[in-house]
Amino acid sequence: MELRINQKAYQVDADADTPLLWVIRDDLGLTGTKYGCGLAQCGACSVLVDGNVVRSCVTPVAGVVGREITTIEAIEADDVGKRVVAAWVEHQVAQCGYCQSGQVMAATALLKHNPAPSDAQIEAAMVNLCRCGTYNAIRTAVHDLAKQESA
Amino acid sequence: MSNRRFARTAGWLALACLVAAGLLAWYATRQPASPFAQEQAASVDPSQVSRGEYVARLSDCVACHSLAGKAPFAGGLEMATPLGTIHATNITPDHDTGIGAYSLADFDRAVRHGVAPGGRRLYPAMPYPSYAKLSDDDIRALYTFFMHGVQPAKQPNIPSDIPWPLNLRWPIALWNGVFAPTATYAAKPSQDALWNRGAYIVQGPGHCGSCHTPRGLAFNEKALDESGAPFLAGALLDGWYAPSLRQDHNTGLARWSEPQIVQFLKTGRNLHAVVYGSMAEAFNNSTQFMQDEDLAAIARYLKSLPGDPRRDGTPWQYVNADTHQDIPGAHTYATRCASCHGLDGKGQPEWMPPLAGATSALAKENASAINITLNGSQRIITAGVPDAYRMPAFREQLSDEEIAQVLSYVRSTWGNHGDAVDAKAVGKLRGHTDPASSSPIILQMR
Repeated sequence: MELRINQKAYQVDADADTPLLWVIRDDLGLTGTKYGCGLAQCGACSVLVDGNVVRSCVTPVAGVVGREITTIEAIEADDVGKRVVAAWVEHQVAQCGYCQSGQVMAATALLKHNPAPSDAQIEAAMVNLCRCGTYNAIRTAVHDLAKQESA
Repeated sequence: MSNRRFARTAGWLALACLVAAGLLAWYATRQPASPFAQEQAASVDPSQVSRGEYVARLSDCVACHSLAGKAPFAGGLEMATPLGTIHATNITPDHDTGIGAYSLADFDRAVRHGVAPGGRRLYPAMPYPSYAKLSDDDIRALYTFFMHGVQPAKQPNIPSDIPWPLNLRWPIALWNGVFAPTATYAAKPSQDALWNRGAYIVQGPGHCGSCHTPRGLAFNEKALDESGAPFLAGALLDGWYAPSLRQDHNTGLARWSEPQIVQFLKTGRNLHAVVYGSMAEAFNNSTQFMQDEDLAAIARYLKSLPGDPRRDGTPWQYVNADTHQDIPGAHTYATRCASCHGLDGKGQPEWMPPLAGATSALAKENASAINITLNGSQRIITAGVPDAYRMPAFREQLSDEEIAQVLSYVRSTWGNHGDAVDAKAVGKLRGHTDPASSSPIILQMR
């Protein structure tokens, strides 16, 4: 089957029910996307599919054929993604960094759908887990981005 | 009335009572007839052992009589009844603690009539009202399998904790007289062989009605075959709602084709749904092992059972929904559920089931929706391989209120029209259910 990832076409040989995450990491070597829980609970594996945040560990690869997949490797090619990464650097969000590619994806998807989210909407959307507890830094960075937009 | 006449009347009355008690004692402990009563054990035919093993698969004996990691069929599964806790028994051929001393006739009386040697009545947790339909040939094969295909295991049965006098067994004989027919399945000449085979499996060994048929006040299944409208019409049991298997649009199989029913029973999933709750166990241990022609027969039979629009309600149709509503249930759905089930509620068939049009979102009974959200689903194991995707348990992550909100959202979006879910109902189920195991559980039969 053919997958479009980061504006590039890839030929993939996988069972229909293989999680997209395995294809991205193991078959294509795009290891910026991380495996956390395997149950769509933590969000470390988040990628964008047609601009929506998707947990690739629970996404059967057959379901994303013909759709536009974006991983952390190419997130800065996206205007919103680029601003998110800049805010992440400015606020020095990452600690160990394992969850951060997923956090960036979640923030990017949120701001693409809603450039000026309310506090409650940010709370509701930024639910990826971080075992270092960088939640305060994440919140500050996203609030900052939301403020830039509404200003 | 003179004293003498009074004494005489009382005497007759006492005698009548005595006779009645005697008759009752005889009735309640009598050995039902068995066609095998005169049969001597024949030499063992290996093909009979494997045939019996297949009947044991159809009948899903292992689900109750085996525990994970323990000797196959040594018993032990705890079952809560309204009266107290009972445990499934050791049905290995061990002489002292199992059924090793059973003759074929003893075995037949236990399986088809719920009567153990000596006349003791089994609790109808053993689905003998269904197994009564088993053919003589299947009973004989099943017996051969248990005697020669199963390893004897010494494991004493665990007594029930039902208090006296509720633990007396003889009243069950009266229950049986009213609610447990004893006839084997009789093929309907008006139907073809496929339909009849399906009816036999569904009513008999498959004992589908044990979960899917509503029960009456005496805990009896309200119908045991297609002659009764409540047969397989959906029922609440053990914290799960077993949906209708009739032609009901919302809560039944009207939207499922025969091949889709076969696929569901064979692989645990299809475009409409994925097995969960008690059905995941029935799939793991029983339906996936059924032969394709038997599955086709089941599908044919189920598709012949008419639905009831009055019970089922307005037929569901998909309705586009505003997926960014600013209500708590919608937020929770978007962040916790949509990764798998989709913002549009359509899921990722056939791997992640749709919630739009799902029975759990349309049925009046909301137990399954709450239970699966609190506790997640157990691993579905197809041909020995655990599946890649399963529903996680949210009991530690979401409060009763949050679960009620998100389920109320799911049950009122995309055309779904189940009632709103109350936080109290979530709390109640939270109290007496446990999260599903994340480890694959395989019950061995040999």
